Amino acid sequence: MTQDGKTLGRRQFFRALGGSTVAVAAAVASPMGATEAQAYDPGNDETKSRYRESDHVKAFYRTNGYETLKKNMDPASTGTK
Amino acid sequence: MARMKFLCDADRCIECNACVTACKNEHEVPWGINRRRVVTLNDGKPGERSVSMACMHCTDAPCAAVCPVNCFYTTADAVVLHSKDICIGCGYCFYACPFGAPQYPRVGNFGSRGKMDKCTYCSGGPEPDFSTAEYEKYGSNRLAEGKLPLCAEMCSTKALLAGDGEMIAEIYKQRVIKRGYGSGAWGWKTAYRETVAI
Repeated sequence: MTQDGKTLGRRQFFRALGGSTVAVAAAVASPMGATEAQAYDPGNDETKSRYRESDHVKAFYRTNGYETLKKNMDPASTGTK
Repeated sequence: MARMKFLCDADRCIECNACVTACKNEHEVPWGINRRRVVTLNDGKPGERSVSMACMHCTDAPCAAVCPVNCFYTTADAVVLHSKDICIGCGYCFYACPFGAPQYPRVGNFGSRGKMDKCTYCSGGPEPDFSTAEYEKYGSNRLAEGKLPLCAEMCSTKALLAGDGEMIAEIYKQRVIKRGYGSGAWGWKTAYRETVAI
């Protein structure tokens, strides 16, 4: 502060400048710090299980394991006669 | 809860690329993008092996870990999917993926490649099942129809297995027992040569 008390002196100027810089940095940083990264969630309806052991799927398992698995698989459950 | 997995029996794969063709046709995948491809090791030499590769739907997916916009999600069937509406095409997932699964419609730098595209395990995307938007962005949703990925269903030598992880592991285990030896194309011995005792 100068002699007349109205204008900023050198020390007061840098102190004021430093204070405002910290305030601006805090304002910029705070939204980033407050917001946590979250994985995209499309909702329960879109992430629910769609796989089901349909006859189609059972046939796939049966034919792919035909050398060995078909002996172990129950014909009634696999749809074979 | 069943966990969806792919398993390629390298002793049966004959590199016919039917899985690649089936995938492209089923989902109308555009030129330049292959959601699945066949990798051949020691091509033309004794001991040649081929493995059909696509997104392996990792449990702790590295693509999801590096995505800056968090567009990935995992379904209850353990299938890793992503939202093309959120994807910015940065390419980080391509660098993170150990299988080279993420693909882009254009060649370019950060953000100019277009939306990432990858195997969806034939289970569509975040849009409603069987909707036009889902088909245009991600392809058909066979899992919701009670079917399995077409690549595996089309495999003529039954090398590519898909479905419940426990079930296909059991099928492969039975094959190995019957043959008396494992694949040899992958596994501890292949990764670490003779320095590992198994």
